[in-house]
Amino acid sequence: MASAVTLTEPESSVAADGARWLTPWQFWGIVLLIPYLIIFTFFVIYPIAYGFWTARHPHTYVALVQDPIFVRSVINTFLFLAIGINIKMFIALLLSGFFVQARWWIKWLSVLFILPWAVPSIPTILSLRFMLNPEWGVVNTLIFRFTGEDGPNWLNDPAIGLTMAVAVHIWKSLPFWTLILISGRLAISADLYEAASVDGATNTQKFKYVTWPSLRTLYLTCTILSMIFTLGDFNSVYLLTGGGPADLTHVLATLGIRYLRIDQVDMSMAAIVIALPAILPLVFYMMKRLAR
Amino acid sequence: MRESHIALLRAASTEAKLLLIGIPVLVWTLLPIYHMFLFAISPKDSAFSGKLWPDHPTLRNFGIVFRQEHYFLHHFWEQLWNSLFIALATGALTLTIATGAAFAISRLKVKGGRTVMNLALFTYFIPAAFLAVPMYRTMGVYGLLNSQWSLIIAMVTIATPYAIWVLKQTSDNLPVELDEAAVMDGASPMQLFRLVYLPLIAPALVAIGTYAILLAWNEYLYAFLLLSKDTAITLPVALGNFLSADDSPWELLMTTGFVYALPPAAIYYAFRRYMVSGLTAGAVKS
Amino acid sequence: MASVAIRGARKSFGTTAVIHGVDVAIADGEFVVLVGPSGCGKSTLLRMIAGLENITGGEIKIGDRVVNHVPPKERDVAMVFQNYALYPHMTVAQNMAFSMKLRGAPQAEINERVKRASEILGLGPYLERFPRQLSGGQRQRVAMGRAIVRDPQVFLFDEPLSNLDAKLRVQMRTEIKELHQRLRTTTVYVTHDQIEAMTMADKIVVMHDGLVEQIGTPLELYDKPANQFVAGFIGSPAMNFLKGKVKVNGSATFEGPNGVKLPLSQAPSSSDGRPAVYGIRPEHFTIADDGAEAEIVVVEPTGSETQVFAKLGGEEVVAVFRERHQFNPGDKIRLKPDQRVVHLFDEATGKRLTA
Repeated sequence: MASAVTLTEPESSVAADGARWLTPWQFWGIVLLIPYLIIFTFFVIYPIAYGFWTARHPHTYVALVQDPIFVRSVINTFLFLAIGINIKMFIALLLSGFFVQARWWIKWLSVLFILPWAVPSIPTILSLRFMLNPEWGVVNTLIFRFTGEDGPNWLNDPAIGLTMAVAVHIWKSLPFWTLILISGRLAISADLYEAASVDGATNTQKFKYVTWPSLRTLYLTCTILSMIFTLGDFNSVYLLTGGGPADLTHVLATLGIRYLRIDQVDMSMAAIVIALPAILPLVFYMMKRLAR
Repeated sequence: MRESHIALLRAASTEAKLLLIGIPVLVWTLLPIYHMFLFAISPKDSAFSGKLWPDHPTLRNFGIVFRQEHYFLHHFWEQLWNSLFIALATGALTLTIATGAAFAISRLKVKGGRTVMNLALFTYFIPAAFLAVPMYRTMGVYGLLNSQWSLIIAMVTIATPYAIWVLKQTSDNLPVELDEAAVMDGASPMQLFRLVYLPLIAPALVAIGTYAILLAWNEYLYAFLLLSKDTAITLPVALGNFLSADDSPWELLMTTGFVYALPPAAIYYAFRRYMVSGLTAGAVKS
Repeated sequence: MASVAIRGARKSFGTTAVIHGVDVAIADGEFVVLVGPSGCGKSTLLRMIAGLENITGGEIKIGDRVVNHVPPKERDVAMVFQNYALYPHMTVAQNMAFSMKLRGAPQAEINERVKRASEILGLGPYLERFPRQLSGGQRQRVAMGRAIVRDPQVFLFDEPLSNLDAKLRVQMRTEIKELHQRLRTTTVYVTHDQIEAMTMADKIVVMHDGLVEQIGTPLELYDKPANQFVAGFIGSPAMNFLKGKVKVNGSATFEGPNGVKLPLSQAPSSSDGRPAVYGIRPEHFTIADDGAEAEIVVVEPTGSETQVFAKLGGEEVVAVFRERHQFNPGDKIRLKPDQRVVHLFDEATGKRLTA
C-alpha cells in the first residue's frame, strides 16, 4: 500500500500541479453551468420524478386502458402523427423547391409565408374557429350563398374536427420546416446541378439524383423531430375543438389537461408514461444525431 | 425567330406554373390572419357577412380595446404588460443561463459538459405538453402558482435546452486559437467570456433572445395552467377566457388578438436575418 | 529577453506519449527553429513552452525560473499562431493593445507601444481596420505586432507562414528574420518546412516521433547530419540513399545495388563488408568519365538548374546540375559523387558512420 503511494506520487503531483493553471477555467466552467443545473434539477428532474411517482399504481393503468377516451385519443394521436406529419413534410419538401426559385415575387412571398410561425397561436386559431362556426362563420355563409344549402357542422363532427386540427397544425408549423428544407437545399453545391445539366438531366432526374440524396437525412431528421414536437402540440387541438365533441378529438397532449380538470392527476401522468416506449426511441435517435 | 418564340412560351409556362403554386400558398398563409384583421375593422353587426372588405371599415374596435371599454377587457393593458414582462424576463434569463452554459461546455471544456449537453438535449425532446401537468403540480409544491415567476421559470426551462444547443454549435465553430491567443495575452476566463466570446457570438445571441421572447409571448398552455388571477394572466389566457363565455364579443376578441400578434411579427421581421441563419444552421448540419 | 532550457521534457495525452524526453538549450537572443514532419511533437513542445499544454515530465526553464506550473500569462512569452488568431471584432490597434489592456497598463503607454510596433511592421495606415479588411500578409504582421507590443522574454511562432502563398511566404521569412536581428528577442519557431528552418535559424532542432534527432546550426545539419533521418529531411531535393556494403581493399569503396561501385574517401574503421547506406546529395554529383553509369528517366529544368532523375544500379537517384547539359530520357550518363561529401549511415540504426 505504502509503496504504491510512493510509486505514483511523482506522477500524480505533476498532474495536479500541471492542472493548477486550469483550475480557474474548470472553476468558472462549473460556476457557469450551475444556473442551468439548478433549473434542470428543480424544474425537469423533480417534475418528471413527481410524475412517475404519481403514476406508480398499477390500477391507474388498468383504469386508463379501460377509459374509451384514452383509447380514442391514442388513435387520434397516431392518425395526427402518421398522416399529419407526413403530409406536412411532403408539402414542405415541395414548397422548399418552390421557394428556392429566384424570382422577386417569390422572395416577397417567402417573407409573408413565415407569418403563421411567428404570430401567436391563439388569435389565429380562434380566427379559424370563427371561420368554421356552423351558424355565422364565413365558410358556411359562403356555402349558403352559393349553394343555398347549410354547410357541414364543421367542428361538431369528430372526423372533420380532427382533420381541421391537423390542418391548423400544418398551417402553423409548415413555414418552419419549409425554411429548414430550404436551407438544406441551398446547402447543396450548385456545381452538382450544373454537372447534372451538362449530363442532360431533366428536372425530375435532378431531384432524384442530386436533391433527394443530399436532403434525405435532413428530411428524416425533420420528420422525427416534428413528430416529437407534434406530440406536444396542445394548441392546435385544444383551441380549435377543445377535445370535443364528446371528448372524441383529444390527443395525448390535451388528454393530460382533461384528466387534470376532472382531478385525475394519476391518470394524466399514466397517459404520458404509457406513451414513453413509443417516444423514447425517437428521442434517442435525435439525441444521437444532434449530440456531436 | 421560331426558336425564340418557343423559349418565350416555355418561360411563360414556367412562370404560370410557379404562380399556380404561389397564389394558393399566399391565400392559405394569409386567410386566418386576414379574417382576423377583417373582424377587427368591421362594425359589430357586419362582421359575419363574408365580404372581402367591409362596407364601413372602422377603427372603433381598437378604440374599445385600448380604452378597456368591455368587461372582458378591463385588464387589457395590465395583461399586455404581463405578457411583455414575462417575455422579456424569459429572454434575459434564457440568454444568461444558456450563454454561460454554452461557454462552459464549448470553450472552457468543463468536465461533465457533454453530459449536461445531453441532459439539455433530452429536455428539448420532451414534448412540452407532457411536462405541463407535472410542472403545474411542481409549481404548486414550490408555492409559486399564480406568481408570474412560475411562468417565467417554466418558459426558461423549455427555452434553455435549445438555446444552449444552438449557442454551443455556434461556439464550436469559433477557432480554438482565439481562446489560446487570449490566454497568452493574459485573459482570465471571465475576461475571455466578456471581451472575446460575447462579442463574437452576438448574432446568435440576438437569434436566441428573440426565440425565447417569442416563445414566452406566444405561450398559451403553461400560461393558462400556472396563472389564473385576472390581473396576473397574460393576454393569450385572457383571450382563451373569452371562449368560455356565451356572449363573447367576437370582433373585440379578434381585435385584441390582432394587436397581440403584431409585436411578434414585427420582432420577427426586424431580426429575420439573424433568426433564419441562427435557428436553422444547426438543423441543417445534422 | 531570456534563455530557455528544456530538460527531459515529456508529454502524454492520456496513455499516448507524444514527447519522450527532449533536451534543448536555447541561448538568450537566439533564433531556434523546431522542425520535423507533422506529428513529430514540435508544436506540442512549443505549446508546452507557452503553457498551453501542461508538462508530463521533465522541466522547462525560462530565464532562471522553472515554469512547469506557471500559467501562460505569467511566463512573459508571446505567441504567433498559424491562423493568426486575431480577434475579429477588434481593430488592428485594439488587437495589439489587448494584452496591455488586460494588464491594466496606462493608456499612454499602450498607445506608445502600439505606435512603435506598428511603425516597425509598417502597419500605421491600417490601425483602425478590422482583420477581415486586411490581406493575409497584413494579418500576419498584426499577429506579430500583437507579440511585439508586449516586449516579451520569448517569441513563439507556430507555423506562422503556412497560410500564406509561396511568394509572400518568402517575403515574410525575410521580414521575420530582420525583425529578430533588430529586436534580438529569444525566438522559438516551429515549422515543417526545412527551407524555412535553414534560412531563418541560428540553431535548428530536428524532431521526429517525439524525439530530438539532432540540434545544430543549419550548415552543421547540412554538412554532418547525425543520422539518415536528418540527412533525408534537410536539403531539397532530398539526399539520395543507396544500400550496399563497404569494401576496404587498399582503398575504400562502396558496393551499391547491382554491384555499382561508388568512391569513398575513407572508410570507417574496421568496416570491411559492413552493410551500410550511402548518402549523396543531388547537388554533389558531377558528370565524369570515371563515374558510374546511369540511365536518365526524367529531366526537369528550372532555368537556374536542372534536375535529372536517373537509374543508378537499378535505383532511382536525383542529380542537380547548375551547368547546362543536353539530357534526354533514355540517355546513358556517368554520374560521379564528390567523395569528400559522401555520407555513410549504419543500415540498421541509421546512425552516421563517417566522421
